[in-house]
Amino acid sequence: MPKDKNLEGKEVSGHISRRDFLRDAGLVVGAPTLGTISASAAAAETAEIALPAAAADPGSQPEFIQIELTVNGDVYRRAVEPHWTLRQLLRDQIGLTSPKDWCGGYGACGSCTVIMNGRPILSCLTLACECNGATVETAEGIAKAKHPIIQAYINHNAFQCGYCTPGFVCTAKALLDRNGDPTEADVRDALGGNLCRCGTYQQHPLAVIEAAGNLKESA
Amino acid sequence: MKTWKKFSHIDARTVEEASSVLRSGKAALISGGTDLLGIMRFEILPTHPEVVVNLKSIPGMDYVKEENGMLRIGALTRLEDIAKNELVRSRYTALAEAAHRTATPHIREMGTIGGNICQLNRCWYFRNPDNRFNCFRKGGQECYAWGGDNRYHSIFGPVKLCIAVNPSDTAPALVALNARIRTNRRTIQAEQFWEMTVPGSTVLAVDEIVTEIQIPTPAAGTRSAFNKFAIRKSIDFPIVNCAVMVGESDARICLNAVFNKPYRAEKAEGFIKGKRITESTADAAGAEAVAAASVLPGDRNKWKIPIAKTMVKRALLACA
Repeated sequence: MPKDKNLEGKEVSGHISRRDFLRDAGLVVGAPTLGTISASAAAAETAEIALPAAAADPGSQPEFIQIELTVNGDVYRRAVEPHWTLRQLLRDQIGLTSPKDWCGGYGACGSCTVIMNGRPILSCLTLACECNGATVETAEGIAKAKHPIIQAYINHNAFQCGYCTPGFVCTAKALLDRNGDPTEADVRDALGGNLCRCGTYQQHPLAVIEAAGNLKESA
Repeated sequence: MKTWKKFSHIDARTVEEASSVLRSGKAALISGGTDLLGIMRFEILPTHPEVVVNLKSIPGMDYVKEENGMLRIGALTRLEDIAKNELVRSRYTALAEAAHRTATPHIREMGTIGGNICQLNRCWYFRNPDNRFNCFRKGGQECYAWGGDNRYHSIFGPVKLCIAVNPSDTAPALVALNARIRTNRRTIQAEQFWEMTVPGSTVLAVDEIVTEIQIPTPAAGTRSAFNKFAIRKSIDFPIVNCAVMVGESDARICLNAVFNKPYRAEKAEGFIKGKRITESTADAAGAEAVAAASVLPGDRNKWKIPIAKTMVKRALLACA
């Protein structure tokens, strides 16, 4: 049975009780009958698929999909609604607030970047229900693992207000995972989708290249 | 913050299964989701899909391989994987460059080639949140860009009164490379793939799904290139982009973001065919490419014409 950790870091059982379910779903206790938990796979049992109940009647109860994903090494099981984004799941359900919401969900700023299955992706444009089985890494996990990118960012003052920094750090870490010896051009290319309104752009290649050097030394 | 309208979600296991859900007319496909989720969240269309069908759960649609004299790319191959693929970079250069210049690294890691060629057209009236401008492309009775701010719009006139442009970077590369697009029903020549519909941008039927891109392997000595002009180097959609393929006696030139669909510059092709590509012939070919261009009311998009000319010239010179 996979173990969950609650917001205080205490291990809790992976079993989802009715109480957990209501809490996770953000529903008030005492709401009318619960929505059916329909795993998508079950809905797709027949070749000619009947539309799910919610589609036939938009006013019906919300539909929840069970997912299990690994975030920063911990396994989480959650029931998510189809329209929840990964960013919502991470922030509101799991309590990891490093993926930010800046541009409002257009995929235009990169501040919600997380690493999913080795790829730097935008958590605001990723549906949570499609993350079943995924491995996700956020800036919290990168910091907890004492990855050299964190100290390099501090050394080079590669941030001012810090709001965009988790997105930059995740993108940079994903780059270093693939390319242990990036050039300045590689870094600029890889970080091209992250915006910084403080304008710290000059510092990022310095920080990432220093982190790459430190990684090589410690290897 | 904008809240979402609810929808149901299905993980399709086969293309046929996804197609059968689409037949209801109330469903939308999701692969990378980078276009769809923006459209849904900001409710830019008058209708909202009730079901979202996930294609990523279908196995075996993510591949790049060369066989039987052609390059075959699965529709769910992510743009970044195409951009980094050595085979694509060396022999299908225009496509690799186009994939690399699309949007941001993150969006390339998520977005797929199938989704990139099926994305909806760009126009800031059409794409305004909450369907504020119910234009021709949404079944309305007016084009707001025609008399409004049309600085990014078509330089080759309207199609069915719509002047929104196709913003795909990979589309002109596929046309220039003479690609074919395979669906679950048929195989379509890339040039015939795009068409103005309400609100779509392709000829696909309601339950038709792109499954594969096929590009004939170019003859030895053939070169291709892609060039893009955007306000910012990364992140942005093109103001104008251009892909060319030049062989010994053949030339294919395709512009995009200048018209309702990728615009093949046949006059410029005719001009450059068989000629040696030099600064002056490339420049003249660029002039041929925009010979039929026209400015929209208000002259606001006039600046795109010399850019289109220069894009053609530079793309040709890259093949010299």
